[in-house]
Amino acid sequence: MKNLYKIDIVIVTISLMLLIFLVGYMRPLVIAPLDSHETTESEILFSIEKADILLIDDNYDFTTPNEYPLKDGLKINLEPGKYYWKAKGIVESEVRTLTIISEVNFELWEIDDVNYGVFNAGNVRLNVDVYNGTEFVGSKKIEVKKNLSLSGDKFVGGMDE
Amino acid sequence: MNKLIFFIAGILLISSVYALGITPARTTLDFKESLKVNVDFEVINSGNKNMNVVFSVQGELSDYIKLPIKEASFLASDRSKTFTYEINLPEELSPGLHTAEVFIMEIPSGQDIGATQVLATLAVVTQLHIYVPYPGKYANAKMVVYNANQGEDILFVFPIVSAGEFDLTSVRANVEIFNNMGEKIDSFTTPTMSVLSGEKKEIVYKWKADVPIGNYRAVAGLVYDEGLINLEEFFTVGSKELELKEITAKGFRLGEIAKLEMLVENKWSEPISGVYIETKIKNDKGNIMSVFQSPSQNIDALSKQFFASYWDTAGVRVGTYETEVSINYADKSSKNNLKFRVDENELTILGLGYVISTDKGGGTDTIIVVLIIAIVLLILINLLWFFLFRKRLKINKK
Repeated sequence: MKNLYKIDIVIVTISLMLLIFLVGYMRPLVIAPLDSHETTESEILFSIEKADILLIDDNYDFTTPNEYPLKDGLKINLEPGKYYWKAKGIVESEVRTLTIISEVNFELWEIDDVNYGVFNAGNVRLNVDVYNGTEFVGSKKIEVKKNLSLSGDKFVGGMDE
Repeated sequence: MNKLIFFIAGILLISSVYALGITPARTTLDFKESLKVNVDFEVINSGNKNMNVVFSVQGELSDYIKLPIKEASFLASDRSKTFTYEINLPEELSPGLHTAEVFIMEIPSGQDIGATQVLATLAVVTQLHIYVPYPGKYANAKMVVYNANQGEDILFVFPIVSAGEFDLTSVRANVEIFNNMGEKIDSFTTPTMSVLSGEKKEIVYKWKADVPIGNYRAVAGLVYDEGLINLEEFFTVGSKELELKEITAKGFRLGEIAKLEMLVENKWSEPISGVYIETKIKNDKGNIMSVFQSPSQNIDALSKQFFASYWDTAGVRVGTYETEVSINYADKSSKNNLKFRVDENELTILGLGYVISTDKGGGTDTIIVVLIIAIVLLILINLLWFFLFRKRLKINKK
């Protein structure tokens, strides 16, 4: 009779272990980006297996998440800020964070004697204060990856409000 | 488009440009009495050239910011360099936002840069924002309403920032909805939540749009402990005016020109003009292998209209193709991701009216779920049997 108990306990234990393994196997395999990833790149490559949907939100409660169907080489453009994200398949993955650090970056080239081309190469909307000598001429806003022709000889670029 | 080509050509003609960058563009901190903290920032030599830069501070908080160095040099090989400024805040500041700006200015050299000579001065700014909490309880909030179709849920989102010294213990929104005649048609109150001081949370409420298609106005009173914020927002029920209902390809033969008849419904209460449909068929690598458009037509209010598109299937093989069908009108575009299953004598459209699930691993997932259910059941049966058997043995022994 004791042997019967032992066999039974072994069967139950093995079944439980198999169950734990299967639940673990079903959990989405989140490869990239790593947790707490910080970057100035706006385009983020997500590498996830065993999941169907990627959820991204700016709060941990995922109250209004953006949903993206997962596919190979999924790249998503995000504005600077802190994001929470998780993958959803049969079960959900752990919640990871991702921070896009703001970057002001601009390029300037001479078009003619008075005009310069200005290109916003950063990841935030640019506010450019234009001066002629010491005189303030005005401010112009340039969207990300856009350019503008400006007249002046001093250009100060900062993040727009 | 021409402007873009001109711009790219312009850049290519110039062998070099002046460039400068800085990150982060902004650092945001919450005020603490006599706060002392060092903030790092990185100056990016995106022009990859030798340069000298000078640092300066401006803004209302400039008296509380110290720059350890006033200037720095970069070699062409230096992609970026990290610097620090020190913040030494006073014991007290008035509530609200306080700012400062750290300027990094490239010292003009006037040197030749390839084909051109740039004499202009370039400077970049990294901003510092310090938020000082308001006395007592204070909330900043706004209302965002997401449009939806008739019968669907309209999403009301209230992002709330607790900007006061103390936590907000009870925050809710009372919302009234008005039609375009100004008549109140519905009202609701959201659930209540608490928001800790300095935190941001969202109240989310789904309102069923069982109302006629049209424009509406939402008026909300966001009530928090001792305060009230009045908010107003306009939204539309039935914003997706045009919906693809059906695609048929009668008499389809692979290798010939196929006529696709696409039925589109106008759900809007007004006629829509200049509507056309663009179809993009992709190969297995995701590249577009065929694009074709229908002629443009007008659709009457609340009616359906057929659009004919022609697809030359010469060279197309039997298989399933990812396809994007866009209904375009004015400056709007409504996309439908479908699958075209092409056989010798049949074209089957998959995915109209529902979301296509990925086939990848779908079978395995089902097997795993069945396995788990089976194992759980087996364990339960086993345990039941185990205890019953034990109980019976005890009774027998007695």
